Amino acid sequence: MRNRASNALSKGKIRQSWSKYNLYNMQRFRSPPTTNRTFFQQKWSAKAASRAYHGEQVREGQWKRMFNHRIRSVIPMNASDLAADDGSLVSSGRGSGLDKAGKPAYQTRPTPYTHMTFAPLERRLDVAIFRALFASSARQARQFVIHGAVTVNGQKMKHPSYLLNPGDLFQVDPDRVLYATGHTKTPYERRQGRLTRRKAKAQRSEGAEEAEAAPQTEEAKETAKEETKETEKEDTKETLKALLAQAKSVMSAGKNTLAPQRKQELRGFQQAVRRVLSRSESSTVLADSLEAQFSQLTLLLKAKRSEKPEKKDVKPRPEDAFATDRGDAEVASAKKDTEATASDKLSEAFAQATLGNEVDASELSDEEFDTLKRALTQMRDNPLDNSKTYSPPLAATPIHVCLCLHPALSRGQPEHLCSRVPAPPRRPPGFRRGAHSLRRVHCHSGLWLVPEETVVDDAIGLYFSA
Amino acid sequence: MPPRMQSRSVSNTLLPYLTSTSSSSSSLSSIPSLSSASSQCLLRQFSATAAPQAQTKLRRQMFEWLNNEGSVFKHHVPGETNYLTRLKQRGGNEGSETSRPFPNNQHFISEPILSEELRNEVYNRVVEQKKSVRVVSVELGIDMKRIAAVVRLVELEKRQRAQGKPLALPYARAVHEMVPTTPLAEKGERQTYHEPINDLPAHPLTGSQIFYPVPESRSFNRVEAGRVFSGAPAMEHSEAAEISHPSDLAEKIMEDPNSIGWVGKGANARQILQPADVRIPHPHLVAQERDRLAHPNERLAVADLQAKRLERQDALEKERRERLQARREKKTTIVSPEDSRFDYRIKDTIYTTETTGVDGRGSKATGRRYGVPHRDRTRGEVKIPTRVEA
Repeated sequence: MRNRASNALSKGKIRQSWSKYNLYNMQRFRSPPTTNRTFFQQKWSAKAASRAYHGEQVREGQWKRMFNHRIRSVIPMNASDLAADDGSLVSSGRGSGLDKAGKPAYQTRPTPYTHMTFAPLERRLDVAIFRALFASSARQARQFVIHGAVTVNGQKMKHPSYLLNPGDLFQVDPDRVLYATGHTKTPYERRQGRLTRRKAKAQRSEGAEEAEAAPQTEEAKETAKEETKETEKEDTKETLKALLAQAKSVMSAGKNTLAPQRKQELRGFQQAVRRVLSRSESSTVLADSLEAQFSQLTLLLKAKRSEKPEKKDVKPRPEDAFATDRGDAEVASAKKDTEATASDKLSEAFAQATLGNEVDASELSDEEFDTLKRALTQMRDNPLDNSKTYSPPLAATPIHVCLCLHPALSRGQPEHLCSRVPAPPRRPPGFRRGAHSLRRVHCHSGLWLVPEETVVDDAIGLYFSA
Repeated sequence: MPPRMQSRSVSNTLLPYLTSTSSSSSSLSSIPSLSSASSQCLLRQFSATAAPQAQTKLRRQMFEWLNNEGSVFKHHVPGETNYLTRLKQRGGNEGSETSRPFPNNQHFISEPILSEELRNEVYNRVVEQKKSVRVVSVELGIDMKRIAAVVRLVELEKRQRAQGKPLALPYARAVHEMVPTTPLAEKGERQTYHEPINDLPAHPLTGSQIFYPVPESRSFNRVEAGRVFSGAPAMEHSEAAEISHPSDLAEKIMEDPNSIGWVGKGANARQILQPADVRIPHPHLVAQERDRLAHPNERLAVADLQAKRLERQDALEKERRERLQARREKKTTIVSPEDSRFDYRIKDTIYTTETTGVDGRGSKATGRRYGVPHRDRTRGEVKIPTRVEA
């Protein structure tokens, strides 16, 4: 299949994509005019618009066969309404309930039925991956499938047009997901990646040489051990340095956009990291792996916590747990209390924590304590790793956020698994409650043509009265 | 195309010098047509048409929009959505638009996802507290199918953690701050419902418009409407008198699913359409509401009755599942030889026209393929799998 899909500005089509071109096209899209245009012309442009969004990767033959006149849907029922009336009130009088002061007793709202026209397309594996926010466009999702990064029920699935069944579990390689959704690498990061790769290669060749020189195994082992120790030590130091660099870059990049509070917090964080860096010269604890440090730390923190009496008056919102921004650097900024972050105590505690020493958490305030904990978790979860294809401390690229949505289709929850259990799309997306009676759906031969009061398309919202 | 005249009096040999010093040289001023800063245009010595600008008009407009109006989308407040509809509604009704991503489609709502705490709570209640899926669904306001999926995925997550496989935690965090989430209620607060849980699937029979005259003196309820839709004759008066409310049927059918009547004959036979009270996923909620209406002051008694009802329903469902499983096991014999990699499932063949078709080569019949070439060689045969076994 030739790749015809693009976000050309001249055509102004809306695609399943997170690109900024798409965003711009979406905001300037207007329903095509209907006056002075023949029926065929109207159909043509309406089809072109909905096909660009829903079916750019579907062949015409498939597209024609894909749809069904009988659109499935559900109506949310209210238990108390059902209990109060056995239906005889609705059908009383002349069949539609007794009037209340000239108004019909039971008001109905239109059901956006035709949203579900494209339900069969939402079953496709590539579209499902895009909807699950695992890829930045349907095209990219398709590529992931073809390149073998997607499994369905634990088996590799190489057909993007595989129609998911209810209960299927699909999973995308987490690296790919991070690559698709994260920032692109900066030239500096790319260079660092090259350097680490070169280093690894050199080490590998050295290892091979050592393996050849079998007789002096003991000596070789010892030297290797020392080397690994040194490299680990360097790694942690580099991580810290990189953190600092990130904090700096955030500061410089968002000079106009960052709130002064945030800036202050970032500065506090920078100070903390700098302190740790200055101390680590003499420390030998850094040789331990970050993972071991982290587990120790969390244990310590827990112990300290239990000793301390509870005095929280406002519990942080659940979103706060996720409220992180550009990697570890901005962790501190998630917090609102400014002075607390920048305070010496916190930076001291952070320094101690990174060094793997006993953390004296009793002097910290609650918010400080939270920040410290979050910073440490972040450091473990989102480490700087230049060997990856993406820029590893993941943060969503800004434009993505306006195009990230969650239709009532997929049922998977834990995002970090990069897996979902899809559900058969039943509810017209967006239709919540209130409509108890159904209006009849008129099916026309052209599926993209629907009568009034119905809306075809989620992105486009085209509607043409026939 | 006819040959074009060279518009400049500058020879080719001079051009490199000109381009290298384009910013400062005085010679540039002698060539008025070269005043544009792009050096590209200097190299097109054979064309008299003006070189295109670096950016098309559309591109320029796009970046203009992105830098002015669209700049609000560059940064977002974590935990809030940042959709295009934000531009439309400045000032007025804020909040109503926060979950509508498409400006041209007011009907589309970006649904919330479960927050980390809520999904852990689901797993905790189902697996550790051993509550039934139905009960948890009503407590937390989450669809039963979603609960099943969440339990499955959390189990997968635990397995992956145990195996030390990588998890995309930073990604999860980023997603949770971009789309709306349903938080877990604090202790003492009421849990916000994640989604409507009593969804009635729209039955195709209800799509038709039927003119059915009923005397005004008679009450016409949902049970009767279902019968009319499915073309069944009206109930006897004695039969109708037994049903005080359509939700009575729900309990009756729960006890005995075979009590639903049939219409039509042979291949056209189908069950009579039941009222909404029976077909919703949580019929017991209607019964509870009725209890509440009947005994408004006896909350404890109502709760007690409901608990008993749920218990009964769970027991019945469990019994039914076990019976099905036993029947399935009885039908097939599984032979697994010790030195074999395979299990053999052996079923008895039933040789009737229903199972094998008229000519003995029905699509589900054993030995259908005997002597018939495989169909994936024929033209137009789709070879994409239609299902993957879990």
